[in-house]
Amino acid sequence: MSGYGGQILTINLTTGTTGVRTLDPQLFRDFVGGASLAAKLLYESLTPDLDPLSPDNPLLFLTGPLTGSSGPAVGRYVVCAKSPATHIWAESNCGGFFGPEIRFAGYDGILFTGRASSPVYVWIKNDKVELRDASHLWGGDTYETQTRIKNEVNDSLARVACIGVAGERLISYALILNDHGRVAGRTGMGAVMGSKNLKAVAVRGGNPLSFADPAFNQKRSRANIELRNDNVSQVLREMGSSGGSDYFNYLGEMPARYFSRSGFESIDKVSGATMSETILSGVSTCHACVIACGRKVILPDGDYQRGESKGPEYETIVGFGPNLEISDLAAITHLGQLCDSLGVDSISMSNTIGLAFMMYQEGVITTKDTNGLELRWGDARAIEKLIHLAVKREGFGELLARGSKALAKHFGVEKMAVQVNGLEVAYHDPRGATGMGLVYATSPRGACHNQSDYFMVEIGNSMSEIGVEMMDRAASEGKALSVSRHQWWRTLNNSLVMCVFANVPFNTARELLNAATGFDYSAEEFLRCGERSWALKRAINNRLGITAKNDTLPRALLTPLSEGGAAGVVINLPMMLKEYYDVQGWDAATGKPTRSTLERLDLKNVADDLWINTLSS
Amino acid sequence: MSIPFPSDAWIKALQDVLNSDDEYGKIASNWEGDLTFVVKAEGARAKPIYMYMDLWHGKCRDARQVADLNEKKAAFLLAAPFSVFQKIVQGKLDPMQAMMTRQLKVTGNMVYMMRNVPTVLRFVKCTSKIDSGFAE
Repeated sequence: MSGYGGQILTINLTTGTTGVRTLDPQLFRDFVGGASLAAKLLYESLTPDLDPLSPDNPLLFLTGPLTGSSGPAVGRYVVCAKSPATHIWAESNCGGFFGPEIRFAGYDGILFTGRASSPVYVWIKNDKVELRDASHLWGGDTYETQTRIKNEVNDSLARVACIGVAGERLISYALILNDHGRVAGRTGMGAVMGSKNLKAVAVRGGNPLSFADPAFNQKRSRANIELRNDNVSQVLREMGSSGGSDYFNYLGEMPARYFSRSGFESIDKVSGATMSETILSGVSTCHACVIACGRKVILPDGDYQRGESKGPEYETIVGFGPNLEISDLAAITHLGQLCDSLGVDSISMSNTIGLAFMMYQEGVITTKDTNGLELRWGDARAIEKLIHLAVKREGFGELLARGSKALAKHFGVEKMAVQVNGLEVAYHDPRGATGMGLVYATSPRGACHNQSDYFMVEIGNSMSEIGVEMMDRAASEGKALSVSRHQWWRTLNNSLVMCVFANVPFNTARELLNAATGFDYSAEEFLRCGERSWALKRAINNRLGITAKNDTLPRALLTPLSEGGAAGVVINLPMMLKEYYDVQGWDAATGKPTRSTLERLDLKNVADDLWINTLSS
Repeated sequence: MSIPFPSDAWIKALQDVLNSDDEYGKIASNWEGDLTFVVKAEGARAKPIYMYMDLWHGKCRDARQVADLNEKKAAFLLAAPFSVFQKIVQGKLDPMQAMMTRQLKVTGNMVYMMRNVPTVLRFVKCTSKIDSGFAE
């Protein structure tokens, strides 16, 4: 069928058997692809008693209908399962070239079940699928693993997604990495791979993609030209994802010192602009992307001297920079590279270390707890040691390896952890953009900025075509509708799978989807697909134990800042949530989508699951 | 009496406002770069209009309407239709919003621009101090 492979590859790692599962075309129509289709396919499997690190946790790599099409910023794939970090819905999407290669091999995705008896990697070349021994690769970093596998399969153009030592050691926030440092970073999908003894997946395909409309290529070229000329694209191309860091800092939207401060004095030493003016040596792209936000840097001298390597993106810069008060871009680059090569998510790692520093500052822990390390803000060497300890799960590192929620709980200071539902908050402070407070509180994977980067709306990136409007960024009232619609839109992005950095208009994406698939989505139906999948993910989480009580924010984010561009802003979360439940059609008492909401979204079976034997709604 | 936008008189009025605005002078004390407003042809306005400004260390050293982009080559171009500029000057459209929603096209060194967003925002705020006329 046009726009889709129409099938997913299934691999049972316990038995070593492989197969192909054909998908009902109606599933594509209703859920588009990517994370939304994954939610539909995994719905039955994700049960409350499922151990995320057990062989029973299904691990699904999925692409979207535009993946590999050379459309605007759509060279992506997503990995979904039950999260070992949060024990709820997990999705983590990733750029590079790996996703398109899955499509070129003839599949929409790959479903892994079971657990290999010893380390393996999978080599997929079109319809030939091999499980190969990976014992000799176990312990290798994410870059050398790619190189060695490409050599072994004798194909330099093979694409390899792999885990590092962190995934092997089941660190709850271990990542999957492919190509030049593109990562599925959040929610611990690398640990799920590790639990299955799956070191890597290598793919090489040779099948052309087909599209329904003969004018598809013309349309996607036009969309790419528009995207290339876009102001935001220009900022991303010239400065990477941290191009806005000076501005975010000015607005008070960038946290510092583990969310206790706003306004980092040394931002001019670590911003994307500074990177461009100092250590930048080149740029990198994902498949057919016209933006090229990836950074290549050279550290020519000093303690962190190295040849050309990946430059840090915004979250890594803020996580190790303002959050831990490091003002040395070389040190930040080094720490980001360390996380990537070991295979840990730099957001969760830096956030968890931030908590450790704050606990040390407040006297909750001492050197007796930290393997003798003094935790002083700005000490990059101490941070580097903590990363190694965490990945080795050694001493204090064993606590760090479990993430901030568990670390705080261990020391009886749960409220200190800046996390929501087990996922560490990303580095966009909702006190500088209050809509993000609602986003973090309601995201299906915990405190996530990619289920809605609403901070961009708060600084002007409105989308009037779907009713997403810029409002006073310090206000709480009246934002729920706009936030909801933006979440539905980003759910569609995560279905296509389209990069959220790409400023692609809603109707451009819809028209490209129609041209690729031959579907005839109206704007209303397209947005409803996003709403449907948003509700479905919520229902999955409800089944896993999430209630309205989980829709909350950590204490730090509800405490007004005394300085900076967001000084004095108070997030009125209860009011925002009340409005939000009304807009979403969720029951305020339980936090579940109501029966009528689910039925309106053609999710009757889900409504029956959630509301069986229940009279309400 | 209002000063018509766009015009040579309007851009010179903006020069006066900038040079008397202490906050702009302070925020823009490191700014070095000239810019040209490009008011695109729209509706009955058959030809684009260009207004040039030389901005230097918190002051405006020169401001005038020019015949085309070649008369004075500026480091930055701010291009939009008349109706968009009208909304920005009247404070009805946030300049960052105009930029991010593709209503206002910015050309030039974005690294420099992003480092100096407060300067840009104050600059735009100063335009609202002019008693501007927007005859169609």
